[in-house]
Amino acid sequence: MTTVTGYDHPKATRRSKRSSSRSRLRFIDLIATGLLGLTTRVGRTVLTAGGIAIGIASMVSVMGISSSSRADVLAELDRLGTNLLAVQPGNSLFGDEVTLPDNASARIRRIPATQNAASLTAVQADIVRSDVMPPGRNGGMQVSATEPQLLDTLAGTMTSGRFLTDLDRELPTVVLGSDAADFFGIRSVENRPTILIGEERFAVVGVMDSLVLYPDVDRMALIGYGVAEKLFDTKPAPSTVYLRADPEFVEPVREILGRTVDPESPNSVNITRPSESLSAKAEVNKNLTNMLLGLGAVALVVGGVGIANVMVISVLERRNEIGVRRALGATRRHIAAQFVVESATLATIGGAVGVGLGAAVTVFYAKSQEWTIDVPIESLGLGIAAALIIGALAGLYPAIRAARLDPAEAVRPA
Amino acid sequence: MSSAMLTRPYSQAANAPNAVLELDSIMKEYAGKPPVRVLHDVNLRIAAGELVAIVGPSGSGKSTMMNIIGTLDRPTRGDVLIEGQSTASLSDAKLAGLRADRIGFVFQQFHLLSGISATDNVSTGLLYRGIKRSERARRSVRALEMVGLGHRVDHRPGQLSGGERQRVAIARALVGDPSIVLADEPTGNLDSKTSDEIVELMLELNDAGSTIVVITHDNELADRLPRSVRVLDGHIDSDTGANRTDTGANTGAQR
Ligand SMILES: Nc1ncnc2c1ncn2[C@@H]1O[C@H](COP(=O)(O)OP(=O)(O)O)[C@@H](O)[C@H]1O
Ligand SMILES: [Mg+2]
Repeated sequence: MTTVTGYDHPKATRRSKRSSSRSRLRFIDLIATGLLGLTTRVGRTVLTAGGIAIGIASMVSVMGISSSSRADVLAELDRLGTNLLAVQPGNSLFGDEVTLPDNASARIRRIPATQNAASLTAVQADIVRSDVMPPGRNGGMQVSATEPQLLDTLAGTMTSGRFLTDLDRELPTVVLGSDAADFFGIRSVENRPTILIGEERFAVVGVMDSLVLYPDVDRMALIGYGVAEKLFDTKPAPSTVYLRADPEFVEPVREILGRTVDPESPNSVNITRPSESLSAKAEVNKNLTNMLLGLGAVALVVGGVGIANVMVISVLERRNEIGVRRALGATRRHIAAQFVVESATLATIGGAVGVGLGAAVTVFYAKSQEWTIDVPIESLGLGIAAALIIGALAGLYPAIRAARLDPAEAVRPA
Repeated sequence: MSSAMLTRPYSQAANAPNAVLELDSIMKEYAGKPPVRVLHDVNLRIAAGELVAIVGPSGSGKSTMMNIIGTLDRPTRGDVLIEGQSTASLSDAKLAGLRADRIGFVFQQFHLLSGISATDNVSTGLLYRGIKRSERARRSVRALEMVGLGHRVDHRPGQLSGGERQRVAIARALVGDPSIVLADEPTGNLDSKTSDEIVELMLELNDAGSTIVVITHDNELADRLPRSVRVLDGHIDSDTGANRTDTGANTGAQR
């Protein structure tokens, strides 16, 4: 019996007691192994990721462009509020023009779900800045009688001074809309400016900020109902009543509005919701967006199929690598995971590039259209997540094929 | 440094109750009509510290035998015992664990990964043991030094000669300090001078304690190794070490 001395070592005994061996692949090494398949085949990686990049870029840019095109409309909607209703006299059954009852706004304010309401009535009178300016040259400025509630109802703000109060009802005081103020060159009430309405001198007590959404009001000079009736013979029947309803009850308020204003002929009352035409505009946009998004999704699926294809070919090419890894101790799961990571990473690279590309296209296009740029952040995250999921799914089948390879076959020369 | 590596400790066959490897009545058939029987009732024991040639003509079943020894393939009948442990009933994942831990492979075509350095290639030999990357790299450099490639650690396979590539593959097989190294035609793709060097390396590594099985069709090569198992048509025709394996000889010491 031959023995070799000098080889005795604690390790020797440990080795013989080594009983249960488990194959383990650290997570970080799994990721690194998956990445290795990409970094050692750069050309293939670029081409394959390109398909996904195009799909993601088209989806992100469609979402970005449509949301940018809507951003302005929606911003307008936001300012306007969707809970504003306008009540105007309609036509009677026989086609005659009817008038709204004098106390229409007071009746509307009695509806519990009404937050605010105010009436406006056109006044037949000319306005001029001073005696030197010839009458008639008022640039389309309009005198209207109104109630103190108008400012809050339209969510307006003051540039200078104050809005009309109950005390102004009978007094020759006036508040100018922003366009009217510009026209007369009155930016502030500090120097107690006055204007002529008809023959009467009115003190300007306030200048409003632009309401943007109610350009009519911007061009108005607003006075109290009492003074309008006394000086200009204005009838108190409102030409328009604006009302702001509780946002939760806009429709119910709308339904009872006709009866409330004019119980005798509720159908002769014309009710509009200024926000509606805007939301319709945004809605049309959305349908188009969804259609384009569908096309982007198709591009993405095609990209996914491309990845699956390339991965299947890759598995065939890398038979020996798979065999060697199995010989070195990789389990079927390790092999499958490696290919799924590789495929998911491939797609995620494509997704990241696509998201960048899509955002760039959006910014470029929105700028050329002079829109407010709005790239939805969630579309970026979504784009990358979608790419990752598609990549993982696309890699599943090739990964299973790789894992099922018979290791003894796989290590044999190709 | 590298000579210190070579005196790696190793368990003594004389002390071990079981052989490192034992083939017990192995029969292997490939499915088909009729089935192809590639191995017939093969029995073989290899003790720790042995350097054994499995030699035979092409098609005699050597590679099949190596795959079965290495648990890459399962025999149709019979059992493979690694360090006394039966593998017949082990799951695929358990066999993978066994390979990760105890078996090193060297292939005729080297089978290195082309895009990564020699060190990283060798490091793959420890990848499926859950060892940290830095530790793998450290041990890989040592293994490369052991096979005489201390100066080539950062080279990629494409920058290495055939003999150097096979040394990298050998380092990869050895880096995990396996119970047994299986080399299938390790010199099959090399010229005769380089082949000689690889055989010389095998002898050195065996001297240092590694148990190695070299599969070859080259009789001359087999004759240079301490023990030759001759395979013919799927059975063992002769075994120069048959009388010694039972006592667990350390052939490295007999040289
Ligand atoms: N997957 C297989 N299916 C059928 N026959 C096979 C398969 N693999 C190998 N063989 C056959 O088994 C015999 C032994 O092959 P092999 O073990 O590769 O021999 P060697 O390595 O000694 O050249 C050969 O006749 C070969 O054709
Ligand atoms: Mg062979």
